[in-house]
Amino acid sequence: MAAIQLEELSFRYPGAEADTLAPLSLSVADGTAFALLGASGAGKTTLLNLLSGLLTPSSGRVLFDADDVSDLAGRQRNVAQVFQFPVLYESMSVAENLAFPLRARKFDPLWIDERVQRIAADLEITQQLPLVASQLSLFQKQLVAIGRALVRPDVSVVLLDEPLTAVEPRMKWRLRQTLRRVQEELGVTMIYVTHDQTEALTFADQVAVMAEGGLLQVGTPEQIYTTPSCEFVGYFIGSPGMNFVDAEQLAPSLSLLAGTQRVGFRPEWAQLQAQDAGQLRGVVKSIQLAGTEYGAATGVVRLQTAAGQIAVRGQLDVTVGQSVGIHLARHLCFSAQGQLLLEDYE
Amino acid sequence: MNKPYNNKAWLGVLPVLLIVAFSGVVPLMTVVNYSVQDILDFNSRFFVGFQWYSETLQDPRFIDAFLRQLGFSASVLIIEIPLGLMLARGMPRDGLSASLLLVLLAIPLLIPWNVVGTIWQLYARADIGLLGVTLNALGISFNYTADPLHAWLTLLAMDIWHWTSLVALLAFAGLTSVPAPYYQAAELDGASKWQVFRYVELPRLKGVLVIAVLLRLMDSFMIYTEPFVLTGGGPGNATTFLSQHLATMAVGQFDLGPAAAFSVIYFLFILLFCWIFYSSVVREHD
Amino acid sequence: MLQLSQIQLAPGAEVFEHDFRAGTLTVVLGRNRSGKTNLCRLIAGLACSATGRVVLNDQDLSGLRPQSRSVAVVFQAFVNYPNWTVAENITSPMRAQGVSRRDREARAKQLAEVLGLEALLQRLPNELSGGQQQRLAIARAMAQQAQVLVLDEPLVNLDYKLRETLVLELQSLLQQSGTTVIYTSTDPKDAFALGDEVVLLDEHMKLQSGTPLEVYRHPQSFVAADLMSDPGVNPFTTKATMVAAARQAAVRPEHVYLASSPPAGEVSEFQMQVLGLETSGDETFIHGAVETKRWVVRCPGMVQVSAGQTLPVIVRNDDIMRFGVI
Repeated sequence: MAAIQLEELSFRYPGAEADTLAPLSLSVADGTAFALLGASGAGKTTLLNLLSGLLTPSSGRVLFDADDVSDLAGRQRNVAQVFQFPVLYESMSVAENLAFPLRARKFDPLWIDERVQRIAADLEITQQLPLVASQLSLFQKQLVAIGRALVRPDVSVVLLDEPLTAVEPRMKWRLRQTLRRVQEELGVTMIYVTHDQTEALTFADQVAVMAEGGLLQVGTPEQIYTTPSCEFVGYFIGSPGMNFVDAEQLAPSLSLLAGTQRVGFRPEWAQLQAQDAGQLRGVVKSIQLAGTEYGAATGVVRLQTAAGQIAVRGQLDVTVGQSVGIHLARHLCFSAQGQLLLEDYE
Repeated sequence: MNKPYNNKAWLGVLPVLLIVAFSGVVPLMTVVNYSVQDILDFNSRFFVGFQWYSETLQDPRFIDAFLRQLGFSASVLIIEIPLGLMLARGMPRDGLSASLLLVLLAIPLLIPWNVVGTIWQLYARADIGLLGVTLNALGISFNYTADPLHAWLTLLAMDIWHWTSLVALLAFAGLTSVPAPYYQAAELDGASKWQVFRYVELPRLKGVLVIAVLLRLMDSFMIYTEPFVLTGGGPGNATTFLSQHLATMAVGQFDLGPAAAFSVIYFLFILLFCWIFYSSVVREHD
Repeated sequence: MLQLSQIQLAPGAEVFEHDFRAGTLTVVLGRNRSGKTNLCRLIAGLACSATGRVVLNDQDLSGLRPQSRSVAVVFQAFVNYPNWTVAENITSPMRAQGVSRRDREARAKQLAEVLGLEALLQRLPNELSGGQQQRLAIARAMAQQAQVLVLDEPLVNLDYKLRETLVLELQSLLQQSGTTVIYTSTDPKDAFALGDEVVLLDEHMKLQSGTPLEVYRHPQSFVAADLMSDPGVNPFTTKATMVAAARQAAVRPEHVYLASSPPAGEVSEFQMQVLGLETSGDETFIHGAVETKRWVVRCPGMVQVSAGQTLPVIVRNDDIMRFGVI
C-alpha cells in the first residue's frame, strides 16, 4: 500500500483548447478510502487515468510513497483498477482469474493458492472458485474483479471507476459494504470515482469534490456536508442540495458575519412556522412526499420566497399556496464570490 | 381475442422460399435422381441403384483427387487463419490509416476469380513473370508448369493472397468489439502480449473465427476456377482437385450418372466437415 | 383512460389488469426484469400479449401498429436520430403527422424552451451531454402530442444530481401537459416525487396499486413493502400465540429508532448485532442482524456505534407491517 501525492498535476488532450484538469495538488494517506466526487465531465476519470498510467500528465507529478511514477507505464506502477462493468478473463475459472496477476509476476504457486483462498473468503466467493467466470451473475463477477484487484499484496493503490454502475440497485448496498469491509481489513488505499454522493459519503474516509477539472474541497464526509467550502459544494452535496438566499432578504434578527452576501442552509436546518415568525417568508409551491415519521407524512416542501426558491425538509402539514414563515435553526455565510465564511452561528 | 398482426411477415419470406426452391432444392433433387440412374442419352435411362456410388468411391482417380483436396484445404486453413489473425492484430483500430488498410485488404477479394488465376499464371511464369524470373535469378530453378511441388506452392501462394484478407477483415471486426478496459486491466495485471491474445482477444474472437474457418473450409474444398486457370490441373494430375475431376467427368465425358453420384458425395463431404467443426466448437458456447 | 385487461406481461405469467386514469402520472415500480419494459412495449405496440386487450379511450389498440397508436415512448438509452439536428429531431414526429411547417417550427421552439434546449437547436445529438440527449428524447416524444406518454426508466443512465433536477422538471412538465403518463422505475423516490399513483410490479404480476402514501403505509405483501423502501425493509417473524403459526412482519429502515431517542406510544424492542456503519452526511446507516435476518437502520445525524456491539433498537407498533402466514 502507498500514500499518494499529486503535485500541481494537470492534463490537456492534444489539440484541446483548455486543460481538462487544472493544476491540482492532493494527498491521500496510506490505507485511506478516498472518494473523487463530481458530475460527468468534471475530470475525475481523467484524474483516475493519470493515476493508473493510462495518461501521462501535461505538467506536475504523481508520487507513490515519494517515488515519482509520472512517467511509468501502468504495469510498472503496481496499480489495480476496477471498472464500471466486470472486466474478467471470461474463459478462465474464478480461481484462475484471481491467480492471474500473481502468476504474471511469478510468485510461488503454493503461496498463490493460499492468497487466492484468502481473498475469496474475504469476498465470500469461495464457492464460486471452480466455476467459469462467464457463468456468474453481474454482482458476483464484479466481486471477482474486485478480488483480482486486491489479490496482489504489493499493490500501491486500488482505483475504482464507478464500480456499482452495472450492479442491480438492490445489490449496490451489499457491494459497497463488502468493499468497505475489505478495505478496512486489508488496509488498502482505495480511490473511488463516482457521481453519486451517497456512494461517496458512505464509502470514504475522505472525499474530494471536483468540478470542471478542479478540486473544490477535500475533507471528511461530515466536513463536506456540514461546512461546504463554496456554494457549488453545498448545492452538489445533499438531496436536495443546500438552499442559498441573498442575505439582504433575511430578517435582521439573523446574525451574519461581515462580508456575507449569501446565506446557505440545508433543507433539514429550516423549519416551517406561522406566517409572521421566522427569518424568511414564503409561499408553498409544491410538496414532495418522502415517507412517514411517527406516522405523519414527511418530505420536502418547496417554497417561493422573495429570495428565490428553497426546499425545506419536515412534516407535510401545509398546503400548496399557503404562506408560511421559515425559521433557520442553523445557517452558513457565503461571500460574494460564493466562498464559505467561517465561524457560523447556531 | 385478436390475432397478433405480424403474421404478414410470412409473406415476405415466400419469395425467398420460392427462389431457393427453384435454384437450390429442385436442382439438388434432380442430381440425386440422376445419381441412381444410368443415362445413355435423353431417352434411355436405367435405374442402377447405388452402383455409381460404390464405383466412384473405389475409383483410384477419385481417391487421389480427394486426398489432394484434403491436403490443399488443410494447408490453406493452417496458413490463412493465423496469418489473417496476425494481420488484424497488427492493424490500427481507427483513423485514416485504418481505413486505407481496410481498402487495401479488400482489393484481392473483389477481383474476379479467373482473373486471379490469370494474374498468378503470368506472375509465376519462369520466362516473363516477375516472381518466376526473380526466383530463377536467385538460383532456384522454378517452373510451376513442370514441377508438381512448385505448382502446389504457387497455388497455395495464390489462394493465400486471394483469401487471407477475408479472415483478416472478419478478425478485425471481432477485435474492434473488445472494449478498452479489458486491455487496460490486462496491462495492469502485467500480462504478456501472448497472454493478452490468448485470454482477452481469442475468447471474444471465437464466433468470428468459426465463421472464417467454415467459409474457408467450404470455399477451398470447392475451389475450381483459380487452379484451372493457373495450372489446368497439371503438371499431369498434380493439382487436379475434386471439382475439376468432377467437371471433367460431367462436362467432358457426359457421364451424367457417375458425375451426379460424385456430386452428391462431394456435397455430403463438405456438409460433414462443416458439421464436425461447427458442433465441436460452437456447442461449447451454451 | 388507458385500460389493460387480461394482459400477460410474459408468456405464461399471471394476468395483469390496470386502468390508467386520463391525465394522471402513474409510476410503475419494480425490480429489474419484473416486466416493466414489457409493459411499456405492450402499451406502445412493440410487443403483443397472447391474451387480453389494450383499450385507449374506448378504442381497442390490440392489433394496431405502433405508428397508429397515440402513444409516445422515451427509453432508457438516449434514442435520437443521430444525423438530424435537435430541431429536426423534435419536428420529426410532426412531419410524420403532416403538420404544416410553420406550426412545426413554432411548436419545436416552444418545446425546446420548456426543456432547456433552445440554445442547442442546431446541434447534433452526439454533441450533447447525456442529460441534454435525454431531454431531446423527451421533447421529441412530447412533440407527438400523443394521448399516452410512456417513459421507461428515462433517468437511470444519468448522473445523480442531474437526475434530481430532471425529476423535478419532469414533474411540473408532465402535470401541466395533461397527458396520461406512465413512468417506470426501480427507485421508490421516483414514485414519491412523481406519482399520482403507483403500480407495484414483481415477476410480471401486479402486486398493488394506489397513491404512494397508501402503498407505503399499507403494503399488501412483503415484496410490496420491500419495493417502496431503499434499502429494503427489515423482516422479522412474530408469534401471535403459541397456537397460531409465525407470521411475517417487517419494518422500514427509517422507522427503527435507537434507544437514545425513543418514540412515544406503544413500542417493541429488538436487539441488533451491529455489522457495520455507513454515514452520508446527514444520515447514518447501521447494518446489522436481528434474529439472524439482515437489518439496516436509518438514523438522522451521526451516530457512534462499533461493529460487534449489540444495540437495542425500538420500533413503533404502528409502523410494523404484517403479512400472511409463512
